[in-house]
Amino acid sequence: MSLLTLAWRSIWRNRRRTLITVSSIGLGLFLAVCFIAFADGIYAKLIDDAVRIQAGHVLFEHPAYRDAPAADLVVQVDVALRRRLEGLPEVERTKALVLGQGVAKSAAGAVGVALLGVEPAVEVHSSPLAARVEQGSYLDDPDAAEVLIGAQLAAQLELTPGKKLVLATNDVHGDLVEELARVKGVFRLGAEEFDGFFVQVPIGFARRLYDLGPDQATQLGVLLRDADDQPAMQPRLAQWVDPRQVVVRGWDEVMPELASYIRVDGGSNYVLQVILLVLIFFTIFNTLLMSVLERRREFAVLLALGTPPARLRLQILAESALIGLLGCLVGLSLGAAVAGYYQVHGLDLRSLMPEGATISGFAMSLLVHPRLTLELLAWLGGLVFGVTLLLGLYPMQRATQVPVADVLR
Amino acid sequence: MEAIVQLSGVSKRYGEGELTVQALQEVDLTLERGAFAAVVGPSGSGKTTLLNMLGALDRPDAGQVHVEGREITRLSRAAQARLRLQRIGFVFQAYNLLPVLTAYENAEYVLLLQGVRAPERRRRVLALLERVGLAGLADRFPHQLSGGQQQRVAVARAIASEPALVLADEPTANLDSRTGAALIDLMVELNQEKGTTFLFSTHDQHVMSRARQLLLLTDGRITYAGNYAGYALLP
Repeated sequence: MSLLTLAWRSIWRNRRRTLITVSSIGLGLFLAVCFIAFADGIYAKLIDDAVRIQAGHVLFEHPAYRDAPAADLVVQVDVALRRRLEGLPEVERTKALVLGQGVAKSAAGAVGVALLGVEPAVEVHSSPLAARVEQGSYLDDPDAAEVLIGAQLAAQLELTPGKKLVLATNDVHGDLVEELARVKGVFRLGAEEFDGFFVQVPIGFARRLYDLGPDQATQLGVLLRDADDQPAMQPRLAQWVDPRQVVVRGWDEVMPELASYIRVDGGSNYVLQVILLVLIFFTIFNTLLMSVLERRREFAVLLALGTPPARLRLQILAESALIGLLGCLVGLSLGAAVAGYYQVHGLDLRSLMPEGATISGFAMSLLVHPRLTLELLAWLGGLVFGVTLLLGLYPMQRATQVPVADVLR
Repeated sequence: MEAIVQLSGVSKRYGEGELTVQALQEVDLTLERGAFAAVVGPSGSGKTTLLNMLGALDRPDAGQVHVEGREITRLSRAAQARLRLQRIGFVFQAYNLLPVLTAYENAEYVLLLQGVRAPERRRRVLALLERVGLAGLADRFPHQLSGGQQQRVAVARAIASEPALVLADEPTANLDSRTGAALIDLMVELNQEKGTTFLFSTHDQHVMSRARQLLLLTDGRITYAGNYAGYALLP
């Protein structure tokens, strides 16, 4: 009769109470795993979509560009640098972008737009826009005078694929320039910021428009295979360039609204998790304490028989550990099963939000894939198990302080 | 004969103010090794308190308690637990078997705490259960046993570690007279066979008649110490 066997049998003496406690722990952990995994999945997808439309997880740009974006603040897109970057195992691909502001005009009107000159051969494999073309097709010729526009802009300017529009902007010399371009395709992301005001053009056409050299770009972006590598990669890549001419930024500096949204939303999620866990811990503590208070006579007998107080404390600790372990097994198994299922198959929210949803100006994918990691399961399980053990300390102490003579009287 | 327990001027009071109960008043008592003694007296006379003092389950307000020559009232809780584990066995009125353990495991429990090796434990517990007439019931849990059977398991548990002293608080109170008499027979046999000292409290005239030594407690004082014949002549 080992101490563990005694503890195991003891917790099943009150089967209902043990089941309720194990279920509480299990349910709480299940919810925590799902909440965190889904939130992480949504954030990861948001970041991924955003960096793929824009300049990647890490980007090279002119040091002055962030403070006063202007067409002439460019970097040299060095072939050797790109090759070196693409040789890194962490790097998925690089992309050169030309950014600018302008006006898109048609017979139906004029709209101020954000211009993005892209390399079609790169973007077609990496940008979510390429997959969201609902009319026409995506850009393919890097030098053609073609545009990809959002569905709202197309409706406003009454444009369809094949029709022409005029793009007006100021070139690097400050001169007003206009170019005629043909609509190659129309995309729909579901976010007004993109669908109504975003125009993609081939990078060669953009360079002509702004009068940039063939190796010049506003940004050289780096897409990483794993977004978690960004904090480490950014300072590492910064050492490759002359900081007077080029600065290396992370996506969170380039899209501060998205980064702060994720921080704030993550923070409020964190508070919710804490509240949920506190409620669970209160239930666990209550149950452990009740189980000790109800068994005062049993503990008095054990002490009367000569059980060392330390052994009795160990028995109560073992009971807490077993309950915590069972709860963690139930919660983590359920959480892993549900989050794991949706990680593979995705949770389709499109029927709930047919109009789509945007976060900080970025369209949120309504096919949500939670991000379940062993690390998440390990720290959540470890936290709940550890706290369960801590919560068992007070009941454990109470058990050995039973006034034996009074209780047995 | 050697004294196994000695009480000198032991007093114990419960409650405060008007609710104060003087459970024991300056009790002096010596019990010799191998004694088979009963503490008798009306309810509230201090029988249980006296047993608790001897078993290091409670501390006196005044006086000293010696068990095998060792003063035990100032021992720490852990040291008192060690003393009970090594030298004292208990039998309770309400049996107080551990409900999650079988009859075998209940009897084995103290040996386990003492660190006795598994084969030796098994040999001793099986022999004991046979001795108390429960050989075929070793795997039963307390709720599967009758009151008499549970009390036999409790006796087996109390004597498994071969303690010097067994304290039994009204061990037959919840048993019918036949079962109670059989239990006392068993305790007498163990006392004679192993020389274990037994001190038990009782209200039952038949049970007290089996004791070789009787202690009458009245309002916390020992007012008679002698044999049953002398006790029976008391007014």
